[in-house]
Amino acid sequence: MRRYSQVSRHVLDYSDLPFWKKSAPMELVYVVYGLLVVTLVVASYILGAAHLLPHDPQEMNLQLLMAPPGTAGHLLGTDFVGRDILSRLIVGIQAYFLPGLLAIGIALTLGTLFGVLAGYYGGRIDTAITYVANLIDSFPRLVLILLMVAALKPDIYYIMLVVGLTKVPVLLSLIKGKIQFLKQKNFIEAAIAMGLKSRVIILKHILWYNCRTVLIIQATVGMAEAILIETSLSYLGFGVQEPTPSWGNMVQAGANYLMQGNFWPSTAPALAILITIMGFHLLGDGLNNILEGKRI
Amino acid sequence: MSSVPILEIENLRTYFYAKSKQAFIRAVDGVDLQISRGETLGLVGESGSGKSITALSIMGLITAEPGVISGKIEFKTDGIQTNLLQDLENYAQVKGRDGQVMEVRKDCAGWQKHVERVMEKIRGKEISMIFQNPRSSLNPFIPIGKQVTEALLLNSGIKTRREAKAQALYWLEQVKIDSPRLRFDSYPYGLSGGMCQRAMIAMALASEPSLLIADEPTTGLDATIQSKIVGLLQELKWTFNVTTMLISHDIEIIKRLSDSAAVMYGGTVMEYGSVRDVLVVDLESKHPYTAALLASIPSERHIKEKAYLQSIEGDVLDTINTPEGCRFYARCNRVTDGIREKCQYHEPDLREISPGHYLRCWLYFD
Repeated sequence: MRRYSQVSRHVLDYSDLPFWKKSAPMELVYVVYGLLVVTLVVASYILGAAHLLPHDPQEMNLQLLMAPPGTAGHLLGTDFVGRDILSRLIVGIQAYFLPGLLAIGIALTLGTLFGVLAGYYGGRIDTAITYVANLIDSFPRLVLILLMVAALKPDIYYIMLVVGLTKVPVLLSLIKGKIQFLKQKNFIEAAIAMGLKSRVIILKHILWYNCRTVLIIQATVGMAEAILIETSLSYLGFGVQEPTPSWGNMVQAGANYLMQGNFWPSTAPALAILITIMGFHLLGDGLNNILEGKRI
Repeated sequence: MSSVPILEIENLRTYFYAKSKQAFIRAVDGVDLQISRGETLGLVGESGSGKSITALSIMGLITAEPGVISGKIEFKTDGIQTNLLQDLENYAQVKGRDGQVMEVRKDCAGWQKHVERVMEKIRGKEISMIFQNPRSSLNPFIPIGKQVTEALLLNSGIKTRREAKAQALYWLEQVKIDSPRLRFDSYPYGLSGGMCQRAMIAMALASEPSLLIADEPTTGLDATIQSKIVGLLQELKWTFNVTTMLISHDIEIIKRLSDSAAVMYGGTVMEYGSVRDVLVVDLESKHPYTAALLASIPSERHIKEKAYLQSIEGDVLDTINTPEGCRFYARCNRVTDGIREKCQYHEPDLREISPGHYLRCWLYFD
């Protein structure tokens, strides 16, 4: 059963309501969870960068191999050479945080820039941009990454550069399609007739009001994707190399001991991956619905 | 009718180039118009007669090439007196033969930049425009109240958001949107076409422009809403006394709202004068095209005389191969043998046949 209630005795102006009263509770839960995850990730990143950790992530404690979670001094236990798992999890964020931001930064800026150029101005610019985008798009991403790793070195920044660049065509075509659709409607012409500058029209009316959904979703999903690619490559041994911790190579290292009943060395990073990726996805979804004023 | 002109258009030509035919499309070909302060000028004509292109040329919104190639649009208000097409001759060179344009050289990008500079102070502030098809003229993702507020912040002296919102509510009330407070947050897709058009009118009037161009404001609305919007425009005209250029192919609307009327055909003005002269009194003293137009719509006369509606024979003028003589010659049913020669080979000019009544027809010239 659904309850319908008036906010107060007097009908308020909807636009004067704060956003948390305008949106559905579930969306708020999503956003709060997502924000919590993001804050945790950022805080851990800063902690890791400042070396404010319970233990040195490289320090081996040979007296305490495979300590279970909850052992005194080691909240999440230790791994097969006695390194503190919590510290390694926190430092593991270093492996994807900045590279992931770099990847979505590249994808968003280049995608938006060329999308607007191709969509708003059209013509020959559009043809040229679309041609290059198709060229990039026709290359399998994993092959490109492996080529990069083979040619240079298995550095996560190089990998994320490729990830970002291969994501550009996706964003480009989304933005371009949106703008081409909007240009058929004559509100852009009406806005010019109203005296708005084309800079304002592109940034405010097109990108902010009509494309922010796409941008927010792509940014959060892109970050989740970057984490996933980093962890899977590290799991396979192409990404971050031991002994530098990354969630991917931690799962891989722990997997050997799973059958012996020592599940935590690989389960802890796996859960961290799950929670983080879910957080980014839900944040994007929730923000999108709140911004669009979706009333459920 | 006061006679202080606010907008004077002289010999405006807006051409487009058809690549496949290697020829010019003469969308607007020598339009002369005048709008006096406080009056409403109705622009009638068939589809494709150049009404909308004239309006877009005034606003500098023509993007197809070569666009405006010659002419003068003198705009005079208390503050500003400019030719909206100033320095056009620096950007466009026109070469003609036998009075017909054969070659145009135009720096379109440069001209576009120049237009932006000239129109910066005019668009939205001095001249506002209402478009046909209101639903798509509003940004689909912004509530209408916010769009009106934006127009106010941009074009009137209001600086604070709160003040602008109050003013926006006032304008939404002026255009008779019921419960404006509730509608303030509605998105265009949540409103009917009539409501959207009201919001558009509010946006256009919010800056209190000197001139309002309404480009077929009732197209795409159903009959009852049409008459309501016309009623609204009529009321606003009395309340705010805003000079309006009303474009429509509905003669009844022009009759109801306008003080003077111009009949366009094939990119030029065929007849211009007060509504009484042009659209109301007997058919004998009008341009044959106007007379034919009036005979093709139902009126009181048709009912009284039990007359049939007449259609105009022939096709709309081919704007690529414009004929040498009168544009309406091929369809005209009042050509007499005495003037046939002239009609076929010489284009008549727009002459004043009685005070304030201009015609482009050899029938009335001596």
